[in-house]
Amino acid sequence: MSTPFIEFRGVQKGFGGKPVLRDLSLDVQRGEVFFIIGTSGVGKSVTIKHLIGLLRVDAGEIWFDGQRVDGYTEQQFEGIRRRVGMVFQNSTLFDSLTLADNVALPLRKHSGLNTRQAHAEALNLLRRVDMHDYALRYPAELSDGMRKRAAIARTLAGKPEVMLFDEPTTGLDPISARRIDALIRELADTMGVTALVVSHDLPSIFGIADRVAFLYQGRVYSIGAPGALKVNGDAIVKQFLNGESAGPMETPGF
Amino acid sequence: MANLISRMVTATAAAVTRVGTSALAVAHEVGGIAVLAGRVLRRLIPPRLDGRELWTNLFKMGNGSVPIIILTAFFSGGLMTLQSAPFVQKFGATALAGWAAGYAVLREIGPILIALMFSGRVGANNTAELATMTVTEQLDGLRALAIDPISFLIVPRVLAMIVALFALTVLGDLVALGGAAIVAHTVMGIEWATMYYSFADNLAPYDVLHGLYKSLAFGFAIALTSCYFGISVKGGSTGVGRAVNAAVVAAAVSIMLLDFFLTYLTG
Repeated sequence: MSTPFIEFRGVQKGFGGKPVLRDLSLDVQRGEVFFIIGTSGVGKSVTIKHLIGLLRVDAGEIWFDGQRVDGYTEQQFEGIRRRVGMVFQNSTLFDSLTLADNVALPLRKHSGLNTRQAHAEALNLLRRVDMHDYALRYPAELSDGMRKRAAIARTLAGKPEVMLFDEPTTGLDPISARRIDALIRELADTMGVTALVVSHDLPSIFGIADRVAFLYQGRVYSIGAPGALKVNGDAIVKQFLNGESAGPMETPGF
Repeated sequence: MANLISRMVTATAAAVTRVGTSALAVAHEVGGIAVLAGRVLRRLIPPRLDGRELWTNLFKMGNGSVPIIILTAFFSGGLMTLQSAPFVQKFGATALAGWAAGYAVLREIGPILIALMFSGRVGANNTAELATMTVTEQLDGLRALAIDPISFLIVPRVLAMIVALFALTVLGDLVALGGAAIVAHTVMGIEWATMYYSFADNLAPYDVLHGLYKSLAFGFAIALTSCYFGISVKGGSTGVGRAVNAAVVAAAVSIMLLDFFLTYLTG
């Protein structure tokens, strides 16, 4: 294997004295579709937010493209954020802007395009996610799946090398979910975008993942290809994959 | 006796703790607002802000506030005339009716009432909007797009509020003088010309400027408090409610304090 494109080494993070990530280590190769899975509250979203500096580690190291980035300043992280885009769980489109304006925003800010050029490019990006017919609609007028597709278009506007997806298929109907999956896979296959996907949607995981890391108690409990995870005999992994309420897995809050 | 002393010591300690905790909380918020002010000012030299957001907010905050400001200013002017009416009639000092109303409205009542109305309408709305954006991760969404939320969201709003409140105060002053004249004419039977000369002969340009520079300070205070409580919100919808409440109270207190010190320092 070549040098990892993204690497987390012994990352620890807590909130209000409660540890969430205890000693998390994983690596992602360039061009991979890498899934982080686990139960709610295990720290999946927390993990990916560290890569773009939305959260700061308590201890440990984060490496991106050969550079250690965990100690970067907010200004230095802006450089990372131009290379790493993130699609949030609840889309985070701006309510006061139309879809076209939302997608045009990073283009106006970073690509040196004027408003007209940015809108033309925004329409192309919306077409790519099959949302161009809704370009003049506001986010509140759309379904969750539509908002997520528009959020993907907005993230693509920055031409990122890496895309972080925080539960991209949660709350979607199966057809919309599989369309999002297909789009993630297509981005990796056609544009070489590295995808780091947080999810507990099993059809997504087994449908498009190259590798999967299963988080448990703030650490990577199991990592490998989805096929290997499926045949993993570990009782905790099996309980998660089978969605069984009874078993050895400790789930905080239950 | 020893038991009584012990209870008194405990009660005193608890009271001191409460006062200390409150003082720390206030210091924390004041410090946060000062840091935000520093961040905003740093982005103004050289200007780093979104022009489109500035125009959008100027229109939304300024234009949308015109009806409520006209209403407030008209009745402020009229009210001042009504308050002075008994004395004007008692001493036959109709030539001073305009001065009495104008002096109070232009220097004090107008800027304060307009600022409080502006805070209630625009400041509260701004806090609610920013707080909602914060709890729904829209601010993190901006950061993830490598867009600085202070430059994109906060600086345009701060500038828009300062400019809008200044412009609204100018408008409010004119409307208040009009209100004073109309009430004086209709209620007290004072001639239009008498009111005009009462304004023109007795009010100095500084009386107008005194209220206007206060409005700049009030606008800055409303903008900072409303933005600060919006972006520092914690929790979900209840947090948004608390943030709006805190912002309105902080803005009102700031307006009163600024008014006192600006009047004390500049006369």
